[in-house]
This record gives sequence, structure tokens and C-alpha cells, in this order.
Amino acid sequence: MTAMAVRHVDLAAPDPAVAAADGPVLAVLWWRDLVLGAVPFRAEQLPCPTARVLDLAAPMIADQVIARDPRFGGLPHGGYDGRPEQSVGLYAVLGASDLLGVMEALATRPAPATDGLSVVICTQDRADSLSRCLASLAAQRQAPGEIVVVDNSATGSAAATCRAFPQVRYVHEPRPGLSVARNRGLSEVRRDLVAFTDDDVELHPGWTGALVAAFDAAEVDAVTGVVLPAVLDTPAQNAFEHQLGGFTQHFVPILFDGRFFDETLAAGPQVWRIGAGANMAFRRSVFDRVGGFDERLGAGAAGCSEDSEIWYRILAAGGACLYDPRAVVFHHHRADWGGLRRQVRAYIRGHVAALVVQADRHGHQGNLRRIFLQFPQYFLWVAFEALKTRPPGRFAILWDEMVGWAAGLRYVADRTWRARTPRQAAEAPHG
Amino acid sequence: MPYRIIDIELSGPLPAVRLEGEEDGLAVVARWRDELVGFSMQPAARGAAWTSDELRALAEGAFARRVVTRIVAAELAPRAPPPAAPAPSLTIAICTKDRAARLARLLASLDAVRGGSGFADLEVIVVDNAPSDEATRDAVARFDGVRYHREPRAGLDFARNAALSAAHGDLLAFLDDDVVVDRNWLAGLLSAWRRRPDAGGFTGLVLPYRLDTPAQIHFEAKGGFGRGFAPDEFHGARWGNMFHPVSAGILGAGCNMAFDRRLLLDIGGFDEALDTGAPLPGGGDLDIFYRVLRTGRVMAYEPRYAVYHEHRETLPQLRRQYWSWGLGFMAFLQKSRGSDPALRDRQRGMVRWWMLEMTGKMLGALVRRRWRDLRFLAAEFQGGLQGLAGEYERSQARSRRIREQAS
Repeated sequence: MTAMAVRHVDLAAPDPAVAAADGPVLAVLWWRDLVLGAVPFRAEQLPCPTARVLDLAAPMIADQVIARDPRFGGLPHGGYDGRPEQSVGLYAVLGASDLLGVMEALATRPAPATDGLSVVICTQDRADSLSRCLASLAAQRQAPGEIVVVDNSATGSAAATCRAFPQVRYVHEPRPGLSVARNRGLSEVRRDLVAFTDDDVELHPGWTGALVAAFDAAEVDAVTGVVLPAVLDTPAQNAFEHQLGGFTQHFVPILFDGRFFDETLAAGPQVWRIGAGANMAFRRSVFDRVGGFDERLGAGAAGCSEDSEIWYRILAAGGACLYDPRAVVFHHHRADWGGLRRQVRAYIRGHVAALVVQADRHGHQGNLRRIFLQFPQYFLWVAFEALKTRPPGRFAILWDEMVGWAAGLRYVADRTWRARTPRQAAEAPHG
Repeated sequence: MPYRIIDIELSGPLPAVRLEGEEDGLAVVARWRDELVGFSMQPAARGAAWTSDELRALAEGAFARRVVTRIVAAELAPRAPPPAAPAPSLTIAICTKDRAARLARLLASLDAVRGGSGFADLEVIVVDNAPSDEATRDAVARFDGVRYHREPRAGLDFARNAALSAAHGDLLAFLDDDVVVDRNWLAGLLSAWRRRPDAGGFTGLVLPYRLDTPAQIHFEAKGGFGRGFAPDEFHGARWGNMFHPVSAGILGAGCNMAFDRRLLLDIGGFDEALDTGAPLPGGGDLDIFYRVLRTGRVMAYEPRYAVYHEHRETLPQLRRQYWSWGLGFMAFLQKSRGSDPALRDRQRGMVRWWMLEMTGKMLGALVRRRWRDLRFLAAEFQGGLQGLAGEYERSQARSRRIREQAS
């Protein structure tokens, strides 16, 4: 598929509908600033009249009300595969009325002050993207307390871009590696909360307020948000979004805590379900307890998963993470096919590397089970499904996933690399 | 052996339930303010009992989220613009063959819901298909306001076409003689029309009428005819379904479907070489759904437009049912390949998908030693192979002969 239009529909506005189009459309449904869900349409399924849009939105609004309104029992918890789990009492439902009023109140809740939030953006030779990202940061309804751009390029190519944004503090980190850059950013910021995002992202204007609000909502050390596609103009972007699942899984808040960790320990906790490095925030103090980003992981090193490995350490130390899709970013996926294939290889390689690190650091063998059992099973399943439906390009991407996995196995064998993991203290609650 | 089926209203106090006699399972049909919101079934010990609170706990887990969705949907409903056209007239057609007792039961359930329907006009037609006696005619005579037609050419689609010729309503709804309508069946169909007045057709929910035998319980436990409790719409293509509209089986079941009557006439009615009863007892509903979608009109699924279906009683009958689905599906695909070459890629892809899917399922049943599942899957697969091997062409020849004999 070549191009899919991304359209935004506000259910709180009169007559929400999706107009006819020449090609497929991804309709992102909102209630004002609260994202409800995303519905893909083929051109033949359009126009989608108001009655049908309302039918599509009803279960989404129900999910929001149930997850966010305290009368229904509190936040959903992360279960197997990161799925939200929440039992709903019928007694709570019986008294329920004016749920649209509840939805309106949830969506228009005033956001807390954000001067206690630092924002770190790590960038490498992507001046135009960075400029677009910084513009969306400047357009935030509530400015963060400080903004630091860590330029991970060899030549300091982002300096000129940053000069156009006076609120931004520019820092050059020539040692390559996303984890290195993130750790440099950590050392530069002073506020109690620190958020990370990437240079290929555009931020929703309420992003800063939503992140701070999430820390208020639950006793958590980390917060993640939802990553929506900004555009889906090329075949590679569509393949990433639809065949690899993109970033977006759920639209309700999900609490990942000890329960999630313990329940999924045997097969390796699926910490990558917690969120994405393009939209994450932490209490700065948590890094004093668990350490900084592992510099063997992440883009420029083993490739990706430096973010999920931190969440693993936080959960293993008894902490918790809240995924709150009230915090929204729009991500520009790799536009070219070659870039996507490289990214897939790096992603899987990094994922395997992180599993090795997690096994070594905490002694949790479930992570190794994931490498040697779950991954091959996943490849077989993908191959079988692809044989049945033959989505274009899926076999090529599957090949890249397998190549990445094989490359990741190298880390299993590399004792010197593995030896660089400090073992977790014996008293840690989930050791 | 049998399951107790209870119908509960979630907005009020729930009853206590105790299983009696041989009952060893509980099935729950749940409503919220009289609208169907869910169905669940579970095995239980003989004589098992639930207090009102225990039943509430059971219902909570299964249905609470759906109830909230229904409350939200009701609050949203006034925001949809009302249809510009006045309410349509409706013809209800029941095609039946030698099942007078069941037919009487269905007519009684229709009688109970006919009054104040909201349709501009309502008529009921029974098409008696190649009967062996007058039992059906006699059964119909006992009801007011039911027209009787005889269709001597044996075959469900012959009967459906006879109903189509005899009907006057803007909408034409078909019911099989082995169903009973829910008390909101008419209201459900009307609300589906209000939501989509330009739809080419509608399909509805099919719940089990009883769960008395192992075959019925097995079938329903595997999902039955379940299309779920959320409304849906079908077009000429569908995101996430590469073969749509060739995958016509996902729309619903022929035992509970309605159409824009004039559209059916435009597309030439039902294919009399499908749904013939033995030897090709299937495919007729798939074919009509497919052809309606191919005209560009929408088909809508509405859970409140609901019936209760008498599932096949014995295991051999159920196995034959699976065989007839495989046969009907593949015969329909063969027919489409011949008559609608534009979608050849999707038809081929559908066949390939089905072969791989069935093989995967049979291997899975084999590995897990689910022998009953395996026998049913094998029956369906065998039917499919038969369908691929030219059963449609043979059926066309048979239908031609039937038409010649009748004229």
C-alpha cells in the first residue's frame, strides 16, 4: 500500500464523521485532547457517517471512563503481553449516568504545573526533523522547566538548529550511542522529573502537562505515553505501522508494577510493552537507585531496547511504571524501505541483547527462554500467517527479524561483553 | 447433560439459580434495560446453585464492560442525524419444508412481537417448499395475518425466490423455520435501518434456543453462529481482511437476514444452484451477501436483531452441518470464480487461506488429541474438497432439470 491518510476526528465536536477518500484512511478518534483509538478504513469503507462513528466510539469511551474514573475501581493493571486487565463491578455500573459528562470532565481536567519537568532530546544528524520537534515543544501549552538537546553527531550538526530556539540548552556528546547521549542528558538536567523524546517526533500541545499529571495519578517512577503515526505516506511507513504493529497498542492507562513483573517472570517480562523511548519520563531520583541507561544497548550500540531494559530494572527493584496515553506524540516512521529493514534488524538484535543483559543482571532465566523458545515460535507463527494472507513485504521483514535475532545471539556467546554487567544486590525484591 | 439457559435483566435484582435433574451447565442471556448485551455458557456440577450475589459476580466478569458501552451508546445516539426517509414497510418470509411444529413455534413468537412495530406496514409469508403433506398449510391457517405460498421446486433458494416474487415490503426479512425470534427482533431491525437507511441488507445475532445435547453444547461452545454483540458494517473491501468480500461468511447467517427487496430483484434473486438441500445444502447466503456487497451497497450487522436457533441435535447431524459449510463455501467460491473474474485474486487467495487454515487446525486438533474436533474439521475439509471438485456445476445442471420439470 502506498499511502494512507491520517485524519483526526473529535467526538466532542458536532457531527463527527470520516469523509470519503481515494485511498485508505487512519481515523484517530479523540474526545478533545484525550485520544480514544485509531480506526483504519479502506477507501471502499468510506464515507463513514456519524451514526457509525458513534458506534465505533462507544466502546472506546466506555473503556476510558472505566479506566480513568475512580468509581470503577482504579487503573487497569498490565497482564500477559502487556494487556490491560481490570475487573468492573456491576454495582458501580448501576449507578452510572451521564457518562459523556464524565468523559468531558476527564478530557478537560486542568493540567498541573510543569516547571518541575526537564525534557531531553537526543539527536544525530537530523536537522529538519529536530527543528520540527523543537517547534512542537515550543508550542506546548505549558512550557517545561528546562529543555536540553544532546547532539550525538560527530560534527555537532544540530548546533545551528538549536540556536533558533532560545529556550533550548545545547550540549554536544561526541561519544556515539543513544544510551551515552541519554546518560549525558541525565547529567545535565536538574528538575525532579525528566522526559525523553526523539528527534523524529512531533509533540501534542498537551504533552508536558499530561506527563506531569501521570506522575500525580499513581505512585510510579516512570511514565510512558502513546506514540501515534504522524504520517503514513510511504510503503515502508505503512509496513511498520500495520505489519509490525507500529508503536500503538492500547489507548487506556495501564499500570505496570510488581504484579506484572512476577506474573510474566517465567517467560521473561515483556517490558517492551510498557512504552517507547520516543515518549517516556522518569523521576530523576530513580536513576540514583537503579543506575543509568546501559551503554551497551540502544541505537549506535546493540540497537534499541535501552529504554525497556531500564523499565526492567525499575520493576525488578520494586518500582512501577504507568503507561498513560493522555501523553501523545506523533512519530515519523522511517520513510524508505532500506531504512526500515535496517531498523528491524537493529531492533531485534537490540532486543536479544537486552534479554541477555536482563538475564545476567538479575539471574532471571525467563529472558533466555524468550530468546531460544519464544522467538523461534514467533518466527514460525509469522511465517504461517504470512503464507495464508501474503501481506506484501512481510517475508522480507521476517527475514530481517531473523537476521537481527541471529546477530543478537552473538551477544549470548560474547563473554567479555556480558561480563560488563554488574550483578544486582542479593537483597533486591525480585532477584 | 442439558444446560439451563436463563435470561437475566442486569439493571434489576438477579434471581438465585439451582440446576435441576441432569442439568450440568449454565448459559446466561444477559440484557440491559431489555436490550441484549451478552451471552455466556459454562459447565457446572449437577445440582449446582448460585445465589443472587454469585450470579451477579458471574455476570460482572462477563458483561459489565458491555453494559457501560451500551449506556454510552444510548447517550451518544441523539447526536446521530435521524433518517430523512419515512420508516419502510416489511415483509417477513419463512421458507419451510415439513417442519410444521417448529414453524408454529416461530409464528407464535412472531405474533408476540408484531404489534406496534414501527414499520409502515408488516406482512408475513410462509413458503411451503415441496411439502410431503398439508401439515404446514394447516399450521399456517391457525394464525391470523400469515400468507401461505406453495413452492413445488425443492430447494431453499427456489423457495426464497418465490418469497421474493410474492413480497410487497420495502424490506424483506428471511427467517429459517428452526428459529424463534427475540422479543426485540423487529425493533432491532428497525433501529438497524435507522442507523443505515441506505443499506442493501442486514444480518442479525443468532443465539442458541436450547443446549440439551452434546452436539448443541459443542457447537455453541465453539462459538456457534456468534457474531458478537457489537454492531458492524460490511462494504466492498474491509481493512484487515485481504479477501473481503469473498470472505462472505463473516457477515452472518442465512437464518436471520434482511434485504432491500428491490435490490434483490435487481441482482436476480438467489442462486437456485446453491442451498438446494442435499446434495448442496449451503452457500446460498454467502452468495447473496457477496453479490449485495459487489453492487456497492453496505450490509449492516445488528445484535439487537436477534433470533434463537435450534442447533443440530445429534453429533452425526452436526458433522453433516460442518460438511455442508465446507461444501457450500467452496461451491460458492467456484461459482464466483466463474461469474466474477474481477476478484479472481481474492478468490484464489481465499481458497489458499482456507486450505492452510483448515490444515493448521486439523494438525492442532491432532496434536492436542481433540478427536471430536478433528472429525468435524475433517468433515468440513472433505466438504470443501467436494465443493472445489465441481459440485457447483453439477448443482447447476440439477437446478436446470428441476426448473424444466416444473414448467
